[in-house]
Amino acid sequence: MTSTINLEGKTLSSTIAKLNAPLTQAFNPQLSSEQPAAAIPTPTYNTQAQRLADFDTLIAALEYAAAGTAGYNFYDAKGNLRSVLPYQALRQNAQTAARQLLGLGLARGDRVAIIADTTPEFVEIFYACRYAGLVPYAMPVPVNLGSHAVYVRQLRGMLEAGQASAALANVDYVGFLKEAAEESQHLRWVGTPEQLGELPALTTELAPNSPDEIAYLQFTSGSTRMPRGVVITEGALMSNLQGIVRHGLNIRAGDRCASWLPFYHDMGLVGMVMAPMVAQVSVDYLATRDFAIRPLQWLRLISRNRATVAFSQPFGLKLCTLRVRDSDLEDLDLSSWRAAGVGAEMIRPDTLRNFAEKFAPAGFDARAFLPCYGLAESTLAVTFSEVGQGFQSLRVDAATLVDRKMAVRLQVEGRKYSEFVNCGRALPEHIVKVVDEAGQQLPDLRVGSVLVQGSSIMTGYFNNPEDTCKTLKPGNWLDTGDLGFLFEGDLYITGRRTDVIIVNGRNIRAQDIEELAEQQPEVRTREASAFGVTDANDVTTIVLVIECRLTSITDRQSLTSRLQRLVYMAFGVNCLVELVPPHTLPRTSSGKLSRFAARQGFIQRTQMTDQLSAESGDK
Amino acid sequence: MLNDYNDVLQKLCHHLKQLAGPEVEITPQTDLINELAIDSVKLLNLIMEIEDEFDISVPINALADVQTVHELANLIHRIRSQKQ
Repeated sequence: MTSTINLEGKTLSSTIAKLNAPLTQAFNPQLSSEQPAAAIPTPTYNTQAQRLADFDTLIAALEYAAAGTAGYNFYDAKGNLRSVLPYQALRQNAQTAARQLLGLGLARGDRVAIIADTTPEFVEIFYACRYAGLVPYAMPVPVNLGSHAVYVRQLRGMLEAGQASAALANVDYVGFLKEAAEESQHLRWVGTPEQLGELPALTTELAPNSPDEIAYLQFTSGSTRMPRGVVITEGALMSNLQGIVRHGLNIRAGDRCASWLPFYHDMGLVGMVMAPMVAQVSVDYLATRDFAIRPLQWLRLISRNRATVAFSQPFGLKLCTLRVRDSDLEDLDLSSWRAAGVGAEMIRPDTLRNFAEKFAPAGFDARAFLPCYGLAESTLAVTFSEVGQGFQSLRVDAATLVDRKMAVRLQVEGRKYSEFVNCGRALPEHIVKVVDEAGQQLPDLRVGSVLVQGSSIMTGYFNNPEDTCKTLKPGNWLDTGDLGFLFEGDLYITGRRTDVIIVNGRNIRAQDIEELAEQQPEVRTREASAFGVTDANDVTTIVLVIECRLTSITDRQSLTSRLQRLVYMAFGVNCLVELVPPHTLPRTSSGKLSRFAARQGFIQRTQMTDQLSAESGDK
Repeated sequence: MLNDYNDVLQKLCHHLKQLAGPEVEITPQTDLINELAIDSVKLLNLIMEIEDEFDISVPINALADVQTVHELANLIHRIRSQKQ
């Protein structure tokens, strides 16, 4: 067994600090990477009167926060404070960078793409864009072994889809970015924040923003040929932020956030970068990579800085439960943590129970669990359960759920049940409804598609009227793509429609996997179907079924292993490939493959009868 | 320096064996993805073990160019040499 991180000793090298934070050090020349940082984080208690997101625009909120003492703090893998960015300094640096961006000749409304590592520079450039009236969007960092080519293609897709005029990345990633930018038609400038800092700044007045202009784009799917950028206006953003900090979290003096969520993810960016700022709350950040390798560091950060609000996907909680050792619990005190937000993927009650059980000795209070539901197309949040009440769940009869799409509360013990977590009620100014396949509203406890209407809904996908039209229904009802039911005003999510597979907390579009397969010479269009199957231990596996004419065993093996490799390189997950004879995959009347039917067929062939859960409730 | 590489390779193979099982033969040419099926969760464990064993930090951007055991050993070796 290996030893875990030792904060005082030298069990870990500081290479990561050197490699990952060169710009941080440029801004903080007094920090030597060999010595623990001496700086102190921004305080929890602010000097200014707290205003809870009652601003017209993001920049108006920053102008106010800059008068106080709160801000963002960045910690390294060892738990050392590497960089402090008070909102006051953020305002200053962002304004300077805004004038430099305008110096590039960019026009109001132009897009700026930024690879979003967890650094102060990302945040500065993001806000700089808003000061300059530009539209920023975050792009992911590469996470998979051997993913160089796939990652560059992914960046290229995002640069194109967002029609970025400028693109930035820190020194670690700018090489990938430059490769991706090679054939770009729109890009006028590509470089690092440091290089931007050397450019002349325009001295013009920075014009104020209006609530109806675009605040940012949020890309929702990791790896795809044509990724989609969700368009969020200032008005939608501020409405959602207000809902989060007031209604969802009931933010008050003494609150402090701790986060490992990636800045390119809506929960990380909206929930843990913008929401704290618009309420003048301090945040402590740990890079996603550092959390993933040593989840204990996140809990230590909460414990040490007495954080009250920290969000995670269920998968992050699982990592903590699995990988933190019991002997580490002694030094943890999680009793300050009053809002443990959980969202971004389907929540299994057992994930929460296991976490609570494991960390109860460290002072974790299960009443802190705060299940919520949301999606980037509605800025971030749609529903919140009641803060401080812990999670509630409902056990329903499993057979009735599958056969009749009805959630019938379990009356007798011993029958097979499905248990769903209560995700709470819609934010003010939002309505959630559940509809059947014909779009008719369903009563309580009937499972159908979850639709949302309200003030934080996107205006559409950038430059993509076709997908916008599919997702935004008449009356501006957003089709979330999720399945669920309502009960006494609360939303319960029962699954995802089969077009998205969630593995280890990552959303993977089935279509992307199928396209990857169809690029192989042996595979014809519409002869590949991808879906997820989840076993009794809640482990999801991607299955790729291919109609295949190859007869030689070697050829078939070659195709199978090539497909597995491609899927791994693109998505970082293993997949199961099944080759079936032509005409095996079920098709709809229009000749389209039905993933739902393909999944059922696979389950029948492999006799995984447990799989016929309510998750696959669409057609 | 070559000794250090061989040392790294040997230790790395030891860790990989624990992930992949004793029946799998591991050579420098072994493909981490195809042959050892290192998924993202196994990868995190592997990196943690490597970082603890070799007292280094593996930058995530460098992993994008790693596919074989040799490439990973070489990366670790390079990071170690830079340190000294």
